[in-house]
Amino acid sequence: MLLEVDNLTKRFGGLIAVSSVSFRIEPGEIIGIFGPNGSGKTTLLNLLAGLLPPTSGRVLWRDRDISGAKPETIAAAGIIKTFQNPQLFAELTVREHVTIASHLALKRILGPRRIQTLLQPKLAKTELTDRVSRTLRLCRLDDVGDKLAAELSYGEEKMLGVAMALMCEPKLLLLDEPASGLGQEEISNLGHVLRDLRTQGTTLCIIDHKVAFLAEFADRAIALQQGRKIAEGPPQDVLADPVVVTAYLGRRHA
Amino acid sequence: MTSIGLLVPLYLLPAVTHNEVVLTILIFTFILGIMATGFNIVFGHAGQLTMFHAAAFGIGSYATYLAMVGLKLPFWLALLPAVAVVTALSLLVGWICFQFRLKEFYFAVVTLAFAELARLVVLNWTSLTNGTLGLLVLEKPTVWLPGAGVTRIDGTFAWYWLTLTALLLVACASAILVRSWIGRNLSAIRLNEDLAQTLGINIFRYKLLAFTVSNVLAAFAGALFGFYTNYIEPAYLSVTQSLDAIAMVLLGGIGSILGPIVGAFLLTALPHAIDLTAEVRAATYGAILILAILVMPRGIVGFFRRRPRAS
Amino acid sequence: MSQVIAGQFLNGIIVGTLYGIIALGVTMTFGITGIVNFALGQFMMIGAYAVWHLTDVARLPFPVAAGLAIIIAALAGFLADQTLFRFTRNNLVNGLLVSIGLISVIESAAIYFYTATPKNMDFVLSGSWSVGEITLSRMKVLSFGLLVAVVALTWAGLARTWLGRATRAYAQNPEAAMLMGVRTSALQTGVVVYSCALAGFGGALYASLYSLEPSMGALFILKGVEAAILAGVGNLPGALVGGIILGVTESVGSLFLPVAFRDAYGLVFLVAILLFRPAGLFGGQK
Repeated sequence: MLLEVDNLTKRFGGLIAVSSVSFRIEPGEIIGIFGPNGSGKTTLLNLLAGLLPPTSGRVLWRDRDISGAKPETIAAAGIIKTFQNPQLFAELTVREHVTIASHLALKRILGPRRIQTLLQPKLAKTELTDRVSRTLRLCRLDDVGDKLAAELSYGEEKMLGVAMALMCEPKLLLLDEPASGLGQEEISNLGHVLRDLRTQGTTLCIIDHKVAFLAEFADRAIALQQGRKIAEGPPQDVLADPVVVTAYLGRRHA
Repeated sequence: MTSIGLLVPLYLLPAVTHNEVVLTILIFTFILGIMATGFNIVFGHAGQLTMFHAAAFGIGSYATYLAMVGLKLPFWLALLPAVAVVTALSLLVGWICFQFRLKEFYFAVVTLAFAELARLVVLNWTSLTNGTLGLLVLEKPTVWLPGAGVTRIDGTFAWYWLTLTALLLVACASAILVRSWIGRNLSAIRLNEDLAQTLGINIFRYKLLAFTVSNVLAAFAGALFGFYTNYIEPAYLSVTQSLDAIAMVLLGGIGSILGPIVGAFLLTALPHAIDLTAEVRAATYGAILILAILVMPRGIVGFFRRRPRAS
Repeated sequence: MSQVIAGQFLNGIIVGTLYGIIALGVTMTFGITGIVNFALGQFMMIGAYAVWHLTDVARLPFPVAAGLAIIIAALAGFLADQTLFRFTRNNLVNGLLVSIGLISVIESAAIYFYTATPKNMDFVLSGSWSVGEITLSRMKVLSFGLLVAVVALTWAGLARTWLGRATRAYAQNPEAAMLMGVRTSALQTGVVVYSCALAGFGGALYASLYSLEPSMGALFILKGVEAAILAGVGNLPGALVGGIILGVTESVGSLFLPVAFRDAYGLVFLVAILLFRPAGLFGGQK
């Protein structure tokens, strides 16, 4: 078992954003989390990534308690999150973004020896350049490699977020609404990338609105409503669950 | 590295001109350029506006002199305890600021407060520092040269070559740092701290590193300055001194290697080019700072250089 | 001994109200224009030197001179806003650097025109009042009263008048205020000018009590910022209270600890507040 979420709760003053949520993620799985707006999906991911400290409950990563750890520690452990609204480095090119994202990988490969690269830049260069090119190709960004982040389309920005996450060699990749705001072709692109990731064995946790998109990829689905988990299971079952249908579509359709 | 290469011909300048004024301006340029280069690392690259470097400058000055006189050390060895003191203070102040996640403006204000506290301590610890009267520095750094043996650095020519060499070494080290993964991570912190964190960059450590390096370079500059001008006073730790360095970097160009040096040159040469009284000089400094912010946010070097495409 | 403490306490309150008026200007400027105007101390100095010049050189009566000084400070503020601060709205770092540049310019001008020699004004209101063994000069008490009155009027103005409410609305939600027709750029300029006028007023009163030096600006702005942060930037009546707390701590503190470190108290407060209670002692209500 890779990740265990145990009764995780997050309170903002009087507002309970995430309420006693528990679930597990097994290696190689694709988990889809969905729910209406305000159901706590993004907050849940932020908690898992260490961007918010939990009010109560635990998060266990390979049996190690990482609740409340700092984002950089969690990233180093292998959990990488993308942002719903693409977070970028304004002045830099696509290639530079991906190069910066290689920090963790570089640390893992060279360890303390990376101090050497200060005086021998070639040591890290070839390894890096190959990785960067490969990731750009995987994310279909190779033809915009030298464009500034500010010049990208929304879909390209989102793919860049995914590319940076991939450079970190995640064991668990948390994708926050990767398909939202994307056009048909871009969604299809994203689909290809996700299938490639699946073949490589990366564990994914995706949250999204587009239920159909999730249903296509996820092995297991978790439905949230107002911060609480209301259903879990194979996507088709969860989507047919009357509780879920009520929450999503209203009583009439139940 | 090519930009640093542009500085190398300066070694030959004393062969061309013996004009004391020109050479003196350049000596001050080189010394202050060291401090400005340090500030560029923490502000230009890591994006943290600090007001502590004047305190480091002054403390570096005082500590080197006191170590030399008190511990009977030659200049270069006396620098070591000074660097140690400044490093310790940087780690302390930096730890406090970054642990509490102070951002931008509040970081500037708190570092200002600490710098002012340092100045008050120096001002009042008269038994050690002689207070407002300052310290008279009669000792000189010594260098071992092949052929001449141990030589005192005395007189314009000697100081010129010494400070130019010091600046070149600092500039090279800065270039190496900035072009490496460390420099990349610092820029990442400047451009988007949250994103940098999720990519595994430990922002606390990197900010602390940049802050400490900047202050250590300022301390080195301070030591050279004190021994060159033969005088060390509490005003070295004043806010004005910090602002001078900021003005130099902003004017010359943030983020480039040459920028801080160009800025240092302009702000040092200006009062000599136009014969100004002290007040008008200060007013001009202020006006330049304002102009730099409003009109040339990338500084002079940035203004002329198109952004190079990275490969 | 307790008389000495009481005396220092009262002196501290008076100096504290001067800190408070600057703090008020700092807080208002921050709330509406999004920057901290570090040059406010200089506008205080402009008011002080203007009053000195008008009473000692032009031989005008104090109230007239003070009124003119306030107008001069306000005009200077207007000029600074139109040429500089207008371009740094909501950019704290740029605002900081620009206002610091402005400090150099104004302070140098003061040294140039008036030299660094301290100037003293003739007595405006002579005599003093005594309670028990504590004596306070009448002018000090009058100044205190005037400053508190001005702060109270400002607060009332913000609560009662249309302009005041528009200002508060803007501080809370700039977009909503704009949509309701509040002319925001005029409002921002107005606040800058008003805070400079306040500083000038403080300077005019300062001149009647203490001797003037060009370096006074730097001292008071630091105290003003400390007081504003202590109270919680954005809290208007708190600014005055923060200033008084600072003033009293310094005065009473210098009885027991080395006078040389008087300025350090404010700095230590500043760091402590920013680290542990960034919202200030009274929170951040506007």
